[in-house]
Amino acid sequence: MSSVKTVLASIRIGWYRDFGWTNPLTGFLMKTIAPVASVLSASIVYWLGSSAAGSFDPSHVSYIIVGAALYTHVAGYSWVPSQAISEGKWSYVFPQVFISPKSSTPFLVGRCLASFVTSALTSLISLAFAYYVAAAIFKSSIPFIVTPLSMSLLLGALLANVPATLGLGILLAAYTIFASKFEWALPTYVAGLLMVFSEALFPVSVLPWPLSAFGNVLPFTQFIRAAREAVVYGSVSAYSYYVGYSLLGGLLFLGVSLWAYRWAERQGRKKGIIDRKVV
Amino acid sequence: MESRLWLRALYARMWVRVMSVFNEPLWIAVNIGFPFFSSVGLGLLYASTGLRSFVGFAILGGIMISFWGNVLWSMASQFYWDKQVGLFEIYLTSPAPMTAILIGMSLGGVVNTAPSAVLVAVAGWLFFAPPLSPSWLAVVLTLALTLASLYAMGMMLSSLYLAYGREAESINEALHEPVSLISGVYFPSIGNFSPFPFSVQVFASLIPLTIGMDALRRALFFSQGLSSIYLHLIVLSIMGGALLLLSSKTMKLLEEKGRREGTISVRLR
Amino acid sequence: MLSHEPEVRVEVQNLRREFDSKERKVVALNGVSLKVREGEIFGVLGPNGAGKTTLIRILSTLLLPTSGVARVMGFDVASEPEKVRAVINMASGAERAGYDYISARGNLWFFSQLYGLPSEVAKARIKALSQLLGLDDYLDRKFYMLSTGYRQRVTIARAFINDPKIVFLDEPTIGLDVMTAMSIREFLIKEARENGRTIFLATHNMAEVDAICNRVAIIDRGRILTSDTPTNLKRSLGAPALVMEVSPLPVNLAFLGAVEGVKGFTTSVDEERGLARVQVVVESEECVRRALAGVAASGMRLVSSWRQQTTLEEVFVSLVGRGFVEREHEVGE
Ligand SMILES: Nc1ncnc2c1ncn2[C@@H]1O[C@H](COP(=O)(O)OP(=O)(O)OP(=O)(O)O)[C@@H](O)[C@H]1O
Ligand SMILES: [Mg+2]
Repeated sequence: MSSVKTVLASIRIGWYRDFGWTNPLTGFLMKTIAPVASVLSASIVYWLGSSAAGSFDPSHVSYIIVGAALYTHVAGYSWVPSQAISEGKWSYVFPQVFISPKSSTPFLVGRCLASFVTSALTSLISLAFAYYVAAAIFKSSIPFIVTPLSMSLLLGALLANVPATLGLGILLAAYTIFASKFEWALPTYVAGLLMVFSEALFPVSVLPWPLSAFGNVLPFTQFIRAAREAVVYGSVSAYSYYVGYSLLGGLLFLGVSLWAYRWAERQGRKKGIIDRKVV
Repeated sequence: MESRLWLRALYARMWVRVMSVFNEPLWIAVNIGFPFFSSVGLGLLYASTGLRSFVGFAILGGIMISFWGNVLWSMASQFYWDKQVGLFEIYLTSPAPMTAILIGMSLGGVVNTAPSAVLVAVAGWLFFAPPLSPSWLAVVLTLALTLASLYAMGMMLSSLYLAYGREAESINEALHEPVSLISGVYFPSIGNFSPFPFSVQVFASLIPLTIGMDALRRALFFSQGLSSIYLHLIVLSIMGGALLLLSSKTMKLLEEKGRREGTISVRLR
Repeated sequence: MLSHEPEVRVEVQNLRREFDSKERKVVALNGVSLKVREGEIFGVLGPNGAGKTTLIRILSTLLLPTSGVARVMGFDVASEPEKVRAVINMASGAERAGYDYISARGNLWFFSQLYGLPSEVAKARIKALSQLLGLDDYLDRKFYMLSTGYRQRVTIARAFINDPKIVFLDEPTIGLDVMTAMSIREFLIKEARENGRTIFLATHNMAEVDAICNRVAIIDRGRILTSDTPTNLKRSLGAPALVMEVSPLPVNLAFLGAVEGVKGFTTSVDEERGLARVQVVVESEECVRRALAGVAASGMRLVSSWRQQTTLEEVFVSLVGRGFVEREHEVGE
């Protein structure tokens, strides 16, 4: 019960951290600009290449918009737990959370969930925005299924993906406990890896063998596939398969991450490295 | 005497910046993450359309995005970090001119980013072997001018950021992607191949990076020499010079404002 | 031989600085005037929020005065900051700024270049300063590897790197262990005595002022209450202070203020022993008797009482009526 309270409290801290420096609207707009731009970048790259090659296909634009919006979504909140730790090390918040006898996991989960909400909203906005802008600048109609069913399926996919992203977040947090340098550079790596390996912009089969297999088993790949089934292709049965995969795979991953984090936390306490600060 | 101080301050600021990375080579790994993956990701996307000849755009984009990232995180917001740790007041109370310090910071930034930019280039070339048809003299000159004007923009931003406090980080996060979108880091954003309407192109052309990227692509992939891109180069030089002047003026103004309002050494953490 | 009057290096006239915060206007300096000469270590002593840092920031060109004039080496700090900057340096104990991945030596060299020092000169000076400050063996460590005390030594060395005429130091020994603080103080005395440097020191450490300052200005709420040598200030009090331990807690000592000849008093509570220690600044022996009689009449128990050599704290109490710590509480409210 008390850990639920911790989660809720740290959700509030998370929102405050993200929006406290300005009014919520400005803060939210600032957070939306980046994903909108990166979704558009990817669609334009596809448009330019395929127009020149004579292979332009409007439905592939939907493919890319969904992929780009959702990989940035995952990237946007998966690194929050490790950010919470590295910032906390500086501001002495984390050592306080850490020295309390309870596990610090609920704190991290709360921070991550706070960002989930923000990131889900910004991704959906970038999705919609990119859809209109792409239709206008590519002068073609981009297929998208917008029905109550498809929207609920998309929402379902976003939720089913939470365990996997939390898993990634907690795993990175486990690393950050030990890292004393440059841990803030992790998000760029996470975003980059997701961009390449989660079938965000092109099928993983494009990658050379062991890499393609790696991309294929990622729950994030299944999540993006499920979302595409929901709003682009419209196959409910394929959707169910992918969502199931992403949820179960995610839960498995989360389990492993939690175990790794517990281990890291114990080591961290034993070695007293939690408040070590090196720029 | 004056000019000696200028040069010493400039050189010292550059030295500090370069040595910081030299002493901590992990920095290169930090710098290279995003540029590397985005050039690979977008390169594969270009390749997946069946057209290999544009793959080079993605790699060039990865190279240039390293510098843009450096300008944002290590130039624009630098004085904000410096203010937090108390270095900024040391600069201010010294007789060293801020412009010399900023130029030193820029040169150091270019030197520090060069290794990761080169690594992205080499990796991209080994991985994709994109078709090139360069006019090398034009490429080198354009690159130099693009970097000069890009860092001049960084100097301008760094004086502007002095007026902001905690927002610096969020502004950086919000600026990184949109600027690379409209300045056409990965695809032509001005000219015949641009996806953008004319008005957006005009706006984009106000950013030196846009002009530089366009000229770089022409020189590197379409063998256009100095005779075809000289206008780009002239515009870049003018922009660079203007931004340099403007940044030193803004710096002075904001210093006065800070002295009046007592915001020079107010730290937020 | 003609004895020459040492030159005036800092001259402040009727300096005022206001800050507009959201709720109210804060007057950080309210008509401050002072003169500091060559070779002097001048202390500005006052409780938190008195305006010390504000004064130092104005003199080191980081802040403009709202009104009044401040000159450093004859240059106006408001209108000729470039000229002032060439002859001063400053350091703040709260700061300890440096580049983490650069050695202490590298950092000092960097800072010397901000003054355009030729590298040979800079190197020689780094060597000399680090010898004086006991930094020799630490010069080649990266800045982030240094402990607080050594970072502070680097910071102090930095403040002298350009051979400045005047050095402004804001709480230079705050948070340091006694030995480090002492060696820094020795260094400051040497710099002032041997090189004729003017050291302008803001602090709320009375022992520090007593130990090293030639002159001290006591500042409270933006006003300079008095300014003289520490010895003269203490002597001016007349009689040694009276210290009383009274119980039970809580004590009510308001009546003391009305006792004739009591210039002020400060109270600290000793929870463990269940008593309050009251330090009373008195004018005369007669006044001591009156104060003791007052305690007896109030019904409190006098556990013990003795007389104490005056320190600057008592000087402050006699001027403000309250102690440093109590003053800080009041100002905070
Ligand atoms: N930038 C500012 N904006 C608003 N108020 C300020 C600012 N700087 C100082 N003040 C106020 O001016 C007053 C004097 O502050 P100052 O820092 O000069 O005191 P100080 O004597 O150095 O105290 P301390 O011992 O705590 O360092 C305080 O009330 C402080 O709150
Ligand atoms: Mg102060």
